[in-house]
Amino acid sequence: MLARVSRTVARRANVTRTLCGSRRSFVQPSGADRASVVDVPSTYQEENHFAPSPDMLGFKLEAPQRDSSATEQVRPIYLDLQATTPVDPRVLDAMLPYFTDQYGNPHSRTHAYGWEAEKAVEVARKNVADIIGADTKDIVFTSGATETNNMAIKGVARFHKEKKRHVITTQTEHKCVLDSCRKLSEEGFDITYLPVQKNGVIDLAELEAAIRPDTSLISIMAVNNETGVIQPLKEIGAIARKHRGVYFHTDAAQAVGKIPLDVNEMNIDLMSISGHKLYGPKGVGAAYVRRRPRVRLEPILSGGGQERGLRSGTLPTALVVGLGEAARIAQKEMARDHARIKLLSDRLIQGINAEVEQVVRNGDENGYPGCVNLSFSYVEGESLLMALKEIALSSGSACTSASLEPSYVLRALGAAEDMAHSSLRFGIGRFTTEAEIDFVVKRIVATVHRLREMSPLWEMVQEGIDINSINWSQH
Amino acid sequence: MSSVAAPSKQAIKSLYHNMLRSSQSFSSYNFREYFERRTKETFRAMQNESDPNKLRDMYADALKESTSLRRGAIVNQLYGGWKVAVEVPEKPEEILERGNN
Repeated sequence: MLARVSRTVARRANVTRTLCGSRRSFVQPSGADRASVVDVPSTYQEENHFAPSPDMLGFKLEAPQRDSSATEQVRPIYLDLQATTPVDPRVLDAMLPYFTDQYGNPHSRTHAYGWEAEKAVEVARKNVADIIGADTKDIVFTSGATETNNMAIKGVARFHKEKKRHVITTQTEHKCVLDSCRKLSEEGFDITYLPVQKNGVIDLAELEAAIRPDTSLISIMAVNNETGVIQPLKEIGAIARKHRGVYFHTDAAQAVGKIPLDVNEMNIDLMSISGHKLYGPKGVGAAYVRRRPRVRLEPILSGGGQERGLRSGTLPTALVVGLGEAARIAQKEMARDHARIKLLSDRLIQGINAEVEQVVRNGDENGYPGCVNLSFSYVEGESLLMALKEIALSSGSACTSASLEPSYVLRALGAAEDMAHSSLRFGIGRFTTEAEIDFVVKRIVATVHRLREMSPLWEMVQEGIDINSINWSQH
Repeated sequence: MSSVAAPSKQAIKSLYHNMLRSSQSFSSYNFREYFERRTKETFRAMQNESDPNKLRDMYADALKESTSLRRGAIVNQLYGGWKVAVEVPEKPEEILERGNN
């Protein structure tokens, strides 16, 4: 039925499809003996597929980039699953009909195209609601977790701005949350940035002490994207419930589908969900906005009043369907995935700790196992990353961007600056294999040893000299 | 309630082989490994399942998934297929001989 199609065949299929966009130059026509492909899969020959034919008058197709380098290029192992996740083939399969024949606008009320699109959107809404234990009508689709964070924080704060001028958040939040809070402070709001303890978890007593009579919103993320720390959402929700008028928003982009969440059990009023962290497509997300008791917020986008008036604009049916399908699959696979990711994560950490010493794990040990943030002492982060070309990893610091500042999350955790610079974040997900983990462990161990051999600081440490006691002289 | 009658051993076996073949035809390493492993796990669980109602539900789920898997494999063949670093056999480090200068 479905034989394993060889790669060269798949490449040739690419050539035929990209005919229209390629450059053409005059050459002699090449015969079949030069072709590296013998046959196409039987499914191709049925349709009227465009294949290079003798009457093309000697035009040669410049093979596009993808084609010629496809067989030579070796892609790195992907271990950056906190940045984004691959789209699950089952999700893609659910999305494609809405990119091909069922392209109706879900808000069209008068014809079948609109009705079927609307039906698909409602099914997706139910799937997303089920994974967080919410009611279907509470879900609002947005363009991503960043938009939802903006909507939630700015919307709630501005709606209650007459009487309530205080917002509480933490120092380890995602940049969009911190930036929204900064914008609010420019408008005259008071923002409290709670510090975190050494393991990344906030102090509940401090949170309670920070709540004032004019606090309108507490925003604390569920799972941190850099360290994998899981915050005590149930306790925070209980504290927020005790004080009337304080809404609890959580940025659950990294948490949905990975740890069990229940908005009623955890007393969450607003939640941000991101599609592309859930093995879904990029460009879509969802907001959970509680209706009982009603959370009022000022919408950012004005328009036709779609999505309960909270987010106007045509819904991208295919993306929404993808998000719904991703949520449904995640709900089904959560326990299985979690057990497997824990296994792989332990394998990675034990593999590295067995061969390399002086490795510090940033963040709570009981955090989400799929996000492992390790700092290697006496090794420079950039050189480590450059040596690991075959592995797609992210470093904990922002030194790959323009500034040389170490990551603010690691700084909030109290990591020393040199440790923050040499941190790596390993993301493990549904599709990671044992072979990839073993490859990574081997490569990391070899690289760290090599870099440490070259390091004079390491030499001094081996000899027993205390680095901190050295009086570096000025030249 | 599932729509199929109690699945026969033959039906389960043939579904397993179909799904396994679809899984093995993915071009992308990560998807291929994942779906192979998952198919084997699902059908092993079905083998050990003694409750006929549950078995019927599991079979119905697997049937629905098998068509989606087949289409997913075809799409992946069209667009996927670059090798991942872990698939490429490692070249042994070139041993450089020191000349007698």
